[in-house]
Order: sequence, then structure tokens, then C-alpha cells
Amino acid sequence: MIDITSLSKIYGEQTVLDIEQLHIPTGQTFGLVGNNGAGKTTLFSLMLDLIAPTTGTITNNNAVVQKSEDWKIHTAAFLDESFLIGYLTPEEYFVFIGGLRGMKKEEVHTSLEQYTDFFHGEVLGQKKYIRDLSKGNQKKVGIVGTLLSNTPLVILDEPFANLDPTTQIRLKNLLKEEASATGKTFLISSHDLQHVTEVCDRIVVLHKGKVVRDEKTSTGTLQELEAFFREQL
Amino acid sequence: MLQRFLYLQWKAFTCGVGFATGLAQKILLGFAWIYFAAIFASLAFVAFWGVQEELGEDPLPIISGYLLYAFAFWIVLRYFLQKMPIVHIQPLLVLPISKKRIVRFGLLKTVFSFYNISNLFFFVPFGIILIQQDYNLLGVIGWWVAIGSIILTTNFLNIMLNSVDRILIQVAVLLLALFALQYFEVFDLTTWTSPLFMAAYHQPLYSLIPLVLLGITYQWSFTHFKDKLMLDGGTIQPKAETHRGADLYWLDRFGRMAIFLRNDIRLIIRNKRARMAVWMGVGFLFYGLIFMSDIYKGSAMTVFVGIFVSGGFLFGFGQYVPSWDSSYYPLMMSQNISYKEYLTSKWWLVVVGTLAGMILSSFYVFFGWEMYFAILAGGIYNLGINAYLVLLSGAYTRVPIDLTANNKAFGDKRSFNLKTILLSIPKIIVPMFVYYVGVLIQSKSLGLILVALVGVLGFAFRNLVFGWIENIYQKEKYKTLQAYKQKNT
Repeated sequence: MIDITSLSKIYGEQTVLDIEQLHIPTGQTFGLVGNNGAGKTTLFSLMLDLIAPTTGTITNNNAVVQKSEDWKIHTAAFLDESFLIGYLTPEEYFVFIGGLRGMKKEEVHTSLEQYTDFFHGEVLGQKKYIRDLSKGNQKKVGIVGTLLSNTPLVILDEPFANLDPTTQIRLKNLLKEEASATGKTFLISSHDLQHVTEVCDRIVVLHKGKVVRDEKTSTGTLQELEAFFREQL
Repeated sequence: MLQRFLYLQWKAFTCGVGFATGLAQKILLGFAWIYFAAIFASLAFVAFWGVQEELGEDPLPIISGYLLYAFAFWIVLRYFLQKMPIVHIQPLLVLPISKKRIVRFGLLKTVFSFYNISNLFFFVPFGIILIQQDYNLLGVIGWWVAIGSIILTTNFLNIMLNSVDRILIQVAVLLLALFALQYFEVFDLTTWTSPLFMAAYHQPLYSLIPLVLLGITYQWSFTHFKDKLMLDGGTIQPKAETHRGADLYWLDRFGRMAIFLRNDIRLIIRNKRARMAVWMGVGFLFYGLIFMSDIYKGSAMTVFVGIFVSGGFLFGFGQYVPSWDSSYYPLMMSQNISYKEYLTSKWWLVVVGTLAGMILSSFYVFFGWEMYFAILAGGIYNLGINAYLVLLSGAYTRVPIDLTANNKAFGDKRSFNLKTILLSIPKIIVPMFVYYVGVLIQSKSLGLILVALVGVLGFAFRNLVFGWIENIYQKEKYKTLQAYKQKNT
């Protein structure tokens, strides 16, 4: 699905990202872990062509992200609240997002039904604009926005942050279900080691812009990761 | 404390988006200041000697009489153009700074705006001439104080106008009523205002009255903002919002573009700042009335007016594409949206707005067909050429617009500033020139036909120009995204 070759991003003197080679196969649930400033959001922003790389390329399903816009067709992403349109109600937002993917209003509404549990009655039918929702509920809207349109690739930056404990558990189940049922490729970054090891089949650790660990998730992964981050103390 | 506030302002300026280009603009702005200063100062001379020698009357009462018009004009101009001061209160609120200080600083900032200072360039030279001409020194000082107080009163009044819609309506009604009284000669207001200001001259103590008025307006806006100095604007309950524009699904007949149009229409009806663009369009419909007198007939000014009458919305809204979408630009850039679709929707909005302007302005027919033809020619030029040009300049404007600006004490009303107006000049000079060429070759009618023809030509090249604009948007994409990240500069 995604191929990264000699990718780097340098601001002035500072190298914020430097990845020699990274391949993410289709259908993988890919977890990205790292401290603040490790380059997680930078990597995602590069994948979405929101910033230009200093060197290297990202290929997303045969389309070089910096050259062609074809990757947009099969990619959905939610990085932060700048992916939400504040003056719309959640429903209107979903119809907009779905509409871009060729979904009719009715299709969007049917598709939304499967997320009623996840919303926990706090998002739909509230007659509120997205800008008036709490941070957590805004996040729910953003996440569902990426799942709704059934794109083969979904990129989520820290989806667990700001969510209440119950919703975190719901999100974990939701992501696991989506991944196994639809074969979507997920790229998820998180600060919560437990969540990310539970959801993802592969964990990559970024440290100061470099890939320092890359492994398939196993029973020991959580302890190893905890040990790794303890070393940084 | 003031130093620290100023330090924050300075930091915001130097760290802001495109400081270098900002600097170039500041230098240009500096020249503009000198220009205006010179204009106003020479106006003072003209006002004094002109009235004295041409009319053979005492200039002071005459000028005092016309001040009423000047003040009314200032209020209107200020409302549309003056930038509201922005103080980012959120980080300040929890620090040990009294709210009074924050508000006082915000209000103080407005005093040093162009709209106040520029008056000095007129009234100081005028007063000095008066003193030179053996007018009473104390009297002139009293006159100055009275006028200065009134100017600053309008300054604080304007802040309130921007903040409270109710007051805006009241003042607008009052101004219109006064204008109507004057226009229909029910009574001549200038005969009232002249003695008022003359009173301050004859008895300087009277100037204390406007000074008190200033104090009251200041205190009024001070308390207003002090009470509102909370993140939620001091309202106890969030207003239950009515969902205007919820049902726009009839737009679906326009195919995929409907998705964008729907959002744009909602953007306009649900956000005060975007709504202002529409009001600007309505306001400019009447712009031509100012130029009804015979002096302008046949001059290139007719085209100037023609462009603006139908183009208010075009300039008010189009200039800020894509800034309207700045708060969710990353979404627009990563969804499967092509620039063409995005731009076409905006283009249609601007075109529909301009067409509406052309139709609504048909009342100018009552003032003669010539005026309306000029408006139509200007309108066609707007449709054919300026509709692209605004989108083009939008790519370079890169001012993030914070639609959800409720964490700022004074709101963010930078949508219609002087810079926007300056940017529109090339869009107006060219048609005026084309018209002038037509007049030189043959006649006024040919001039108008040529202007319209250029507009039609622009239509013909639509696809070509769109491709070109698309490329520019594409090229500017990273810069734009970067600029929009800095919401608060």
C-alpha cells in the first residue's frame, strides 16, 4: 500500500524526519509510536501531501504522493480539528464527506447507523454545529468521517487522545472489527502503548525522526515498548 | 504592563506569517500614510482659503457646519473598513493581569488607528492657519478638543457597532433618518451643527460637553468588553442556534458541484464574517447614488462606479477565497477534491452574486439609462474578468480567517481592511482605461461596449484561465497550508 524511500524533512538545521525505507502492505494495521517531536505527525502530513519532503518519496498505491493526486481517491485521514468543518452539523459533515466519495445522503445516513454505539447518543441528532461540540465528540466525528466512506486506507493521528475511557474501548473494538472485516489498511499513531499494541499488528517506534524499532505485535510487545520508553528517562 | 502587551504585539507581528512581505507592505503603507497626510494637509489649506476667497465667508462656521457630514461618513467608513483590535485573551485571562488592563489595552490600540490619526492631518494644519489668521487661540483649542472628542467618540461607538448588532441597527436608522431630513429639506442640519462647534470656539468651556460624551462612550465600551471578557463571551447559556440552510438538497441537480455549493452557502449564512460579504454587496448597490451628479457623466468614473455597484459581493467574498476555508484547509487538501471543482463552486457563487447585483441595480434606470448601461458593462466585466482575478489574488492573500472566533475579546473582523481595497485597484483601473480608449476613438457608448466586450472575451477563455489559476493554487499549496496554521496572527 505504502512505500517510503529515503524520506526526510529538514527545517533549517533540524532534521525532524529521516526514514530510509518503510513498506506498509495492504491490510496491515500499522501503529506508530514515539515521544513528542518524534516525527509522527510530520510523517502523516507528508503522506497527505500537506507538507513537502526535503528528500525522498512516498508512494501510495502506485501514486507518488507529491506528484499525482490519485492517492486521494482511496485515502481518508483525520489528523486534528482542521479536518472538521465547524459550521456544519455532524450529519451535514458526513453527507459532505460521503458526497465526495459518491455517496448519496440516504446512503450516508444508513451507513451512520453502525456507529450509533460509538457516538453514544452524543453526536447525532443534537442540532449542534461541530464547533460547539466538546473535543472528544469532535474527535468521534472526525474518526467516523474517515471510516464512513470506506476508503482502503485510513490514517488516524492519535485517535485515542481526548476520548473518554468507554469510548476508547469502543474505538479499539471498532478499529479491530473494521480491520478484520473490511481488510482496510490503518495507520494509527498513539501515545497510549496499551491501546496501540492491542489494535495494531505492527508497531514502528519513531525516535527523533528515525525508525528505531519495527516489529510485528506479539504478547511481549507491550513490555518491550514500555522498557524502551523507560530507557529514555 | 503596557510594555509587556506591546512586546506580545511585536512578537505576533515579527513571528507572523510572511514577516518579510509584511515588512514590504508596511513600507508601502508608510508611503500611503505620507500621501494621505499630504492630501489632508492640503485639504486644510483649500478649505480655509477656498471658502474665504471664493465664497467670501468666514471658513470656521462653514467648515464646522459640514463636519456633520464628515462624521457621518467616518462612522460608515469605519464600520466597513476599520480593523477591530484583536487581543488574544485566552492565555492572558489566567495570568495575574487585571481584566481592566486587558480591556484598556485593547481599547487604547484602536485610538492609534488610521481613522483617528488621519484627522489630525486636517485639523491641526487648519487650526494653525486659524491661529495665524488671528483667530482666538483658546477658541481654536476648544474647537480642537470638541472635534477630537467627537472623532474618538465615533471610534468607540464603532467598536460597539461591530460588537452589538442592536446598536448597529439603531445608529443606522438614526443616520438614515438624519440624512432623509437633510435630503428632503425638512430642516438643514448644518445650520445646527455649525453653532454647536462654534460654541466651543466662542466659549472653550463648552468643549467639555463632547469630552464628557467621549468619556461616557469610552466607559460604555469599557464595561461592555470587561463583562464580555470570558471565553464564552460572558453569555450564560450558549445560544440555541437555528439551523439555517439545513435543507439545501435541491442543489443536488447541479451534480457534484452541489456538494461544494451547499457548504459555501452554509458558510455564508452561518458565519457572521461571511455574511458581511453579502451586506457589502448590498451596500455597494447604492454606491452609484453618490456619483449621480452631472460632473461624473461620461468620465471614466462611470465605469469605476459600474464595477463596484454589481461587484460588492465579488470583492467582499471572492477576495478571500480560499481563506474562508482556512480553518479546514488540510481536510480540503487531503479529500478527493480537485482544485477545479473547488474553484468552480466559488466562481459560481461570485457569478451569481454579481448577476443578482446587476438585476437589483436596475433601479438606476430611473436616473437615466446611461448609468445603468455603465453598471451592466461593469457587471459583464466583473463576470468575465474580475471573477477570475479575485480568485487569483485570493491565492496570494493567505490570511487565515477564524470563523469560530469567540475566544477573542473583540472578535476578528479583519475581513474588510484597507489592503483588500488596495488589491482591487488593478481590477478597476484596466476597465477604466479600456473605456477611456473607447471614448477617445469614438464615443461613450463605444467605451462601454468595449468594456463589456473584454468581459465577454474573458468568458471565452474560462477553461484556459481556470487551468492557470489551478496551477497557481497548486504551487502555493504548501505555503497556504503553512499560513493557515497560524490562526492567531
